[in-house]
Amino acid sequence: MNDEILVVDNVKKHFPVTQGIVLKKQVGAVKAVDGVSFAVRRGETLGVVGESGCGKSTMARCIMRLLDPTDGRIVFDGRDISRLSRAQMRPIRRDMMMIFQDPYASLNPRKRVGFIVGEALEVHKMGTEAEVKRRVQELLEVVGLNPEHYNRFPHEFSGGQRQRIGIARALAVNPKLIVCDEPVSALDVSVQAQILNLLKDLQSDFGLTYIFIAHDLNVVRYISDRVMVMYLGKMAEFADSKELYASPKHPYTGALLSAVPIPNPKLGRARHQIVLEGDVPNPINPPSGCVFHPRCPRFKEGVCDVDDPPAFSFGGSHQAKCYYPLERWPMTVEEIERRPAERLEQAVAALPH
Amino acid sequence: MTTAEPLLDVRDLRTAFLTDDGIVGAVDGVSFSLDAGRTLGIVGESGCGKSVTNLTIMGLNPKTARVSGQALLRGEDLLQAAPRRLREIRGNEIAMIFQDPMTSLNPVHRIGDQLVEAVLLHNDISHAEAKARALESLEEVGIPQAARRIDDYPHQFSGGMRQRVMIAMALINDPDVLIADEPTTALDVTTQAQIISLIAQLQKEHGTAVIIITHDLGVVAEIADEIVVMYAARVVERGPVDELFERPSHPYTWGLLGSLPRLEADVERLAQIPGQPPSLLAPPRGCRFNPRCPYAFQRCHDEDPTLIKVSGTDDHVQACFLDEGTKAREAAKTLSAAAA
Amino acid sequence: MYRYIVRRLLWACVLFIAVTMFTYVIFFVIPADPAVLAAGRSARPADVERARIYLGLNHSVPYQYGLFLKRLVVDQSLGRSFVNRRDVDSMISEAAPVTASLVFGGAILWMLLAVPIGVLSALRPRSLLDRSAMVFVLIGISLPVVWIGLVLQFLFGFKWGILPNAGYCNVFNPPTGATCGGPVDWFTHLILPWTTFAILFTAIYVRMVRSNTMDTLGEDYVRTARAKGAPPNQVLRKHVLRNAMLPVVTMLGMDIGIALGGAIFTEYIFGLPGLGRLAVQSVQNFDLPTIMGVVVFSTLCIIVFNLIVDVLYAFIDPRIRLE
Repeated sequence: MNDEILVVDNVKKHFPVTQGIVLKKQVGAVKAVDGVSFAVRRGETLGVVGESGCGKSTMARCIMRLLDPTDGRIVFDGRDISRLSRAQMRPIRRDMMMIFQDPYASLNPRKRVGFIVGEALEVHKMGTEAEVKRRVQELLEVVGLNPEHYNRFPHEFSGGQRQRIGIARALAVNPKLIVCDEPVSALDVSVQAQILNLLKDLQSDFGLTYIFIAHDLNVVRYISDRVMVMYLGKMAEFADSKELYASPKHPYTGALLSAVPIPNPKLGRARHQIVLEGDVPNPINPPSGCVFHPRCPRFKEGVCDVDDPPAFSFGGSHQAKCYYPLERWPMTVEEIERRPAERLEQAVAALPH
Repeated sequence: MTTAEPLLDVRDLRTAFLTDDGIVGAVDGVSFSLDAGRTLGIVGESGCGKSVTNLTIMGLNPKTARVSGQALLRGEDLLQAAPRRLREIRGNEIAMIFQDPMTSLNPVHRIGDQLVEAVLLHNDISHAEAKARALESLEEVGIPQAARRIDDYPHQFSGGMRQRVMIAMALINDPDVLIADEPTTALDVTTQAQIISLIAQLQKEHGTAVIIITHDLGVVAEIADEIVVMYAARVVERGPVDELFERPSHPYTWGLLGSLPRLEADVERLAQIPGQPPSLLAPPRGCRFNPRCPYAFQRCHDEDPTLIKVSGTDDHVQACFLDEGTKAREAAKTLSAAAA
Repeated sequence: MYRYIVRRLLWACVLFIAVTMFTYVIFFVIPADPAVLAAGRSARPADVERARIYLGLNHSVPYQYGLFLKRLVVDQSLGRSFVNRRDVDSMISEAAPVTASLVFGGAILWMLLAVPIGVLSALRPRSLLDRSAMVFVLIGISLPVVWIGLVLQFLFGFKWGILPNAGYCNVFNPPTGATCGGPVDWFTHLILPWTTFAILFTAIYVRMVRSNTMDTLGEDYVRTARAKGAPPNQVLRKHVLRNAMLPVVTMLGMDIGIALGGAIFTEYIFGLPGLGRLAVQSVQNFDLPTIMGVVVFSTLCIIVFNLIVDVLYAFIDPRIRLE
């Protein structure tokens, strides 16, 4: 479909765990990404949320082919890029760029800003030296920096300014898709607002598509059109941004939403929080069936720990992989923990069509 | 309003560091007070001096620091205390936990030993008794299978568990004050919720007063009774939590509140504060926020604002020259944008 | 843990074969004929030929190497010297204790100096102590070992006559005809060599200890310890030193392992009959079996010490799991 710039189809990325004295054999795998499928529409922002260990960064790197997926297909702009060689990927890399989290680590401290921003242009031979320089200065201005700082080094800039340099670098080659891996997590709140607004403006000015990875749900809500929630290498829920926040279906989404501190003391006090027990489990040994079942307040034995739930549809883009989705939102803690008698699919099947 | 003496009373605290480039005034006249059993939230962005303020109270600054002012713990000035007295107080009457649980525990010692160390530093009891206390405190903070895990090393715990261990270590001697410096910043959202509710619960059980330092306005809204907003080494606003969120009275506070993306509302565009915080080597004259303040006028460049009471309140103060009318209007605008 | 050690030992064998084979090849690539040397000055071609057969040099290089390995593994013997037909084994076992005395004594000396100076410098950066220590470091690294040895020998041995000039005394069982023996003589004869050997290492280790200590002092867990109310020397002892010394222990093991192969300069200047001097002499004489003996011994020392250091590290630092 022309409308979808990226289709990810059941992508898996497993990192082998080996043992052995001389000859190493694989005894297990870290299932960082374990069967994720979704599509990104041209011109939209897809937010990806999840906590540490959910696999969102690994998946981003698989999409960019910085890592090779163990299984599954990645179709970018109509072309299957999952198994392309390095040489074949090269021209495609112009169309997908990445912005990273740490503005202090993602810029080479020994290179000048002009070089950093213009490097991709030179690699892809997009212009003479003079043209590249002009373009770089243009870009610096577009992201709100002074073009005369072309010859400065990264350490002469603040965190927010460095992130702008990273954005300019990503924009240089006119990409179609930009993957933003936690671009504002390391920034102060006031600077964060500047960068988010900048990203929004650039999207409308240049017709960009974003995949925006973050752990901060507020930020994801502000900037995303649609959102995917990940947990332990799998998708938990996928929906339009407004709908996800207004009526989440997956209990994990509910827990995430209720855990976010609200800067409004009265509202915060009135809220019922679902506080999850324990820590995120190890991706080497994911739980059987639904990976969330050990911590889920709606867990039902015999159902949730047997088979991985399929993605049930709730209309439009809204999908959730849960046998006992939340019935309404906000729910009280008691309501959340009450389990419905029938599995969802049976209930759905029983509905008159 | 209590008329009793505050437990911790900080008055006009100033901390300066001598560096190669000059004198950096990291804390410039900060005052606040903390009553027993209450929670004070100190908010501000990086470099505003919130961490240094508390390190100064604890006496944990490097030797190049020049400190003035008073930090009265039950009337005793910590800034004048002898080093031995300070060591008695640390970990015993005032305890502190830090941001990064990954690096705040010694990697080559078992956590049981580190907890026991905290006990034995301030209590003349046997090793066995100290270990028993350590075990109790681990159970209290919710470490599963504490009896087995007490002999584990820090790297065998997850981030959230390590932070719980830090909290256990801080509260093991039942201090009167707990200072928590960005305790949840390095943690996931769901773990953060666990830790915040743990701190709140333990506070209720032990009656500890808590100072929580953070940049996250949501966290202080949840847990604090009173809030201090800091900018560029100074206090710009201070007041009870509900009051401050309903009637924010300083342009920086409006900027902070306005630039937050919201969960519960649709925000068209985030308000942004232009520029970035000033260098503390050569801060701006007058009100330090004036280079970035959309309402700044001449007086802001010439005079240092002092903290004055917001009309109609006793305990809400702010440091801005704007008149009350404008403030009320702008505050209402910020709040309505957030509630839309 | 066991798997790790087994894996390391297997690699050690591979390393051993590689090093010894390499040495053999180099020896035979050099255009000089040991048979000529062994046969003597006034040798005629027939004598040289006889010497060649006698020394086993008439076989091909791979054959000789194979013979060497077989002799080593099966007979546990390193063969006989080309020069004096003595057992290489006994030559090595005479020279090794000398080098060991020098190296271990030197190591103790340099650690006793470097650790306190390094730690104190780190605790008081930019103080007079610190600056003097850094000047000393610079001098210690820059002065050539040979020069230091000769100067010390001249001043203390010759000019002022306080300490013996050269020579080695056995601690136990001095051989008949020896001019000295016993612990006291052993000690006094080694003072100058120890000092010479240790200066360079002291300088290097002062710098390393200082920078590691400074890094550790800035760590978050040290701040936590202070926040608990720990007094400064407890913080230093329990929290700083153990962490700061970890990398130093690794370096120490490796340096000792390497030095045991022969601290050539020091041994030469002070006339110590250790492995270093043996190595130099055997190369000058094209004495292949002795060269191989020294190489085997040094390689063994390095391998063993590296392994010890790695295992020790795993014991000291619980984060390292040797799988």
